[in-house]
Amino acid sequence: MLETPKKRSTIFLLVIRLILGGVFVYASVDKIIHPAAFAEAVYNYQILPDALINLTAIVLPWLELILGAFLILGLWLPGAALLCNLLLITFFGALVFNLARGLDIHCGCFSTSQEGTSNLCMCLYLIRDGIFLLLGLYLLTRIFLRKSEAFTASMNEQL
Amino acid sequence: MFWQTTAIVLLAVTLGLLINQIHPGRLPLVGDWSPEAQLTLDSGESMVVSIDQARDNFFSGNAIFLDARASEIYREGHIQGAQNLPWERVDEYFDKVMADIPEDALLIVYCDGESCALSKDLALELFYRGYENVRVFVNGWSLWVEQQFPVSKGGKSNA
Repeated sequence: MLETPKKRSTIFLLVIRLILGGVFVYASVDKIIHPAAFAEAVYNYQILPDALINLTAIVLPWLELILGAFLILGLWLPGAALLCNLLLITFFGALVFNLARGLDIHCGCFSTSQEGTSNLCMCLYLIRDGIFLLLGLYLLTRIFLRKSEAFTASMNEQL
Repeated sequence: MFWQTTAIVLLAVTLGLLINQIHPGRLPLVGDWSPEAQLTLDSGESMVVSIDQARDNFFSGNAIFLDARASEIYREGHIQGAQNLPWERVDEYFDKVMADIPEDALLIVYCDGESCALSKDLALELFYRGYENVRVFVNGWSLWVEQQFPVSKGGKSNA
């Protein structure tokens, strides 16, 4: 009975890892197949200098694929969880930045309209990415706590 | 943790660069994302018009201006006399908007924002549909308003 909360926590962490890992892998596939379309999407965000757009379009999908696979398989979890959060914060920040300056990321164009489908879509993206970010932060915190608990236990054993 | 993060990033960079070499849609590491580069036809002819050229053609009445933005944004303000052909609904409204426009007419397409792809995409669509005298006024709406050239608000969008 004492094991139950720990087991539940382990299962919950596994589910979060599978969700985030699955999202990263799913998001990477189309970008890897169509790098030019992804480069245009990166360009439409209007954040990176032109010289870094292609390099980002070449590397980022592979980073997402590897990261997703590592999260699913449970490999190098502390590093993968940290990187996962760094990426999610970057994506979230880019969305907030463009929403604040009225840039529609679908076309890279400015829109002064506060209504319409593009603004609604941007808000939905924000909510979606916000949920992923919360899951990522929870995952990172739990991994940190577990590492800290394991370290304390080993120190106690040595004493 | 940090060595894991670094290792994942290095792995992604290596894989991305290697696979890009053999990818059928291979991207150059540094691309030219200037509007001129994106709007140069295979013949080498540039489709871009400057603010001065747009102004001259406006006051001489030589060109037909097409606003590629969504109808609700068009109604908020557009270049005086411009017709609205929203890129995102081009198939739906093409026949209606282009019915009275001869194929040899000088068309100047615009939207808003340096990276706005709507005008570029609409111009290429028009070009491939036989309107070979089509030009793009990059960041047209912002530049036009900045110069305080004639604008209209509201009005009935054809689309």
